[in-house]
Amino acid sequence: MSALVHTDRDVRAIADRVRRGEVTAESVTSASLARIGEIDPKIHAFLHVASDALDQARDIDRKRARGASLGPLAGVPVAIKDALVTRGVPATAASKMLASYIPPYDATVVARLRSADAVLIGKTNMDEFAMGSSTENSAFGPTKNPCDVSRTPGGSSGGSAAAVAGAMTPCSLGSDTGGSIRQPASFTGTVGIKPTYGRVSRYGLIAFASSLDQVGPLATDVRGAARVLSVIAGHDPRDSTSLDVPVGDYEAACDHSVRGVRIGVPSEYFAEGLDPEVQASVRAALSALSAAGCIVRPVSLPHTRFAVGTYYVLATAEASSNLARFDGVRYGLRSLGPAGKRDLRDMYGATRDAGFGAEVKRRILLGTFVLSSGYYDAYYLKAQKVRTLIRRDFESVFRDVDVICSPASPTPAFRLGEKSDDPLAMYLNDIYTLPASLAGLPAMSVPCAPTSAGLPVGLQVMARPLEETTMLAVAAAWEAESRRTLP
Amino acid sequence: MPAPNIDRTLVLHVAKLASLSLSDPEVDRFASELRRIVGYIEQLDSLDTRDVPPTANVSVDRAPGRPDEVAPGLDRDEVLAQAPAVESDGFAVPAFVE
Repeated sequence: MSALVHTDRDVRAIADRVRRGEVTAESVTSASLARIGEIDPKIHAFLHVASDALDQARDIDRKRARGASLGPLAGVPVAIKDALVTRGVPATAASKMLASYIPPYDATVVARLRSADAVLIGKTNMDEFAMGSSTENSAFGPTKNPCDVSRTPGGSSGGSAAAVAGAMTPCSLGSDTGGSIRQPASFTGTVGIKPTYGRVSRYGLIAFASSLDQVGPLATDVRGAARVLSVIAGHDPRDSTSLDVPVGDYEAACDHSVRGVRIGVPSEYFAEGLDPEVQASVRAALSALSAAGCIVRPVSLPHTRFAVGTYYVLATAEASSNLARFDGVRYGLRSLGPAGKRDLRDMYGATRDAGFGAEVKRRILLGTFVLSSGYYDAYYLKAQKVRTLIRRDFESVFRDVDVICSPASPTPAFRLGEKSDDPLAMYLNDIYTLPASLAGLPAMSVPCAPTSAGLPVGLQVMARPLEETTMLAVAAAWEAESRRTLP
Repeated sequence: MPAPNIDRTLVLHVAKLASLSLSDPEVDRFASELRRIVGYIEQLDSLDTRDVPPTANVSVDRAPGRPDEVAPGLDRDEVLAQAPAVESDGFAVPAFVE
């Protein structure tokens, strides 16, 4: 059977054919596994391929044969970021700390995928503990961009993006703390959604920064991502930040008219540092949306340039606290350190030195510093106040527009190694995705015209809290337009 | 406020707070990298935030509390199977009382 191909083998096409019995879950899963076997040795999107994938698929086929109705993701192979736990299957967060960890429970989003009759095909590579923008910080080696293997797929959900871009699976789950779904989607020409903070349960997501983390889908197309979002969204009593609010019909939202929808275009996102080809591609998409009946107008988000500094104080502070759990006591790596005096504190220090990579240590140190006595007010409290200003920028602009559009990243995918020795340069790459994270807004990246070198470019669409439907309508309208006009 | 002097002493102090044992070359490298990153973060000082309240969390207002009811937890054997060392059905650790 041939490999999955974009457009005619998207999430909905697969699920709907499996449900109608036109194709078996087993044959879809076999094709996906064959494609992984064929190209993943070059890409390294997967850290672990599920040994029971075909068994899961056959169970779904048997369920249909019994006459039971199948769920919305019937037979759809889904790749899962390795920061999410799946009972009995390794979850490493791409860290040596968890290299041999087998979780004793399923993340809520994983349980929901199972209930929707998806096939959990494997766990994807990422920056260690989701800290990075290129997937080069994985303890198990980088992932390469299927569009150009000399370049990164972005990060931290780089493996999940590469699995979809490489046609290994039609969709995947990632997590987004400061852009970790949207930036890799942008770099690989896939669709990636960061839902509203609280929209999707984080129970079973290995925590990085708890006031920012959110799980979301990546897929070949907007409607496929919308269907996965419909499955994973909704209240979960096991996550105290999960909102008890109605979940929209995200797939239907993709068919909503965008005539009269007001799009704000923030001048601060088209400033110095923006690649001219990315700018041209995003501007062309905005012109097409304008021609489709949207009202496109300039807006200002004046505190945008403070987002990187604010984020790297708050996210590292929260990470330093969350990662305190990795102490060699209950799970994961334990190192006793050099022989001789070996007390509990020595074990903590030696375990954390041996288990964490350089970027994770750097962020734990920065986060501990900004929370430490004498520096808390100057850095942590200050950043929390600037977060308020960034949030107010959005509240003010959303009084006059329905969505905000921008580039998802200032550049197309950069080369492997290009920024890996310069942490600050890597952080600055996140400038367009961080503000929506700090404000808790839903935001997504949808492909627009590639650069002259053929590298993907992402249009970011941001909306008011809980208004994923408006965001998806605009993204789907642009996608329809792009399929008509782009090669 | 004046920029702190991020030197070996400060890095070692913070590493101790974070229970991280660092090698000598790591201490030097992190001191130099953190100096640069904290230098960048200082730009937040240019904003007057005296009358601005801090944001700790963006949307907990609609997240309801959970009823305080007893529910089954994880399987004990499955959980202990992940522990680096187990003794008498518990997590075993090196001595920490002198």
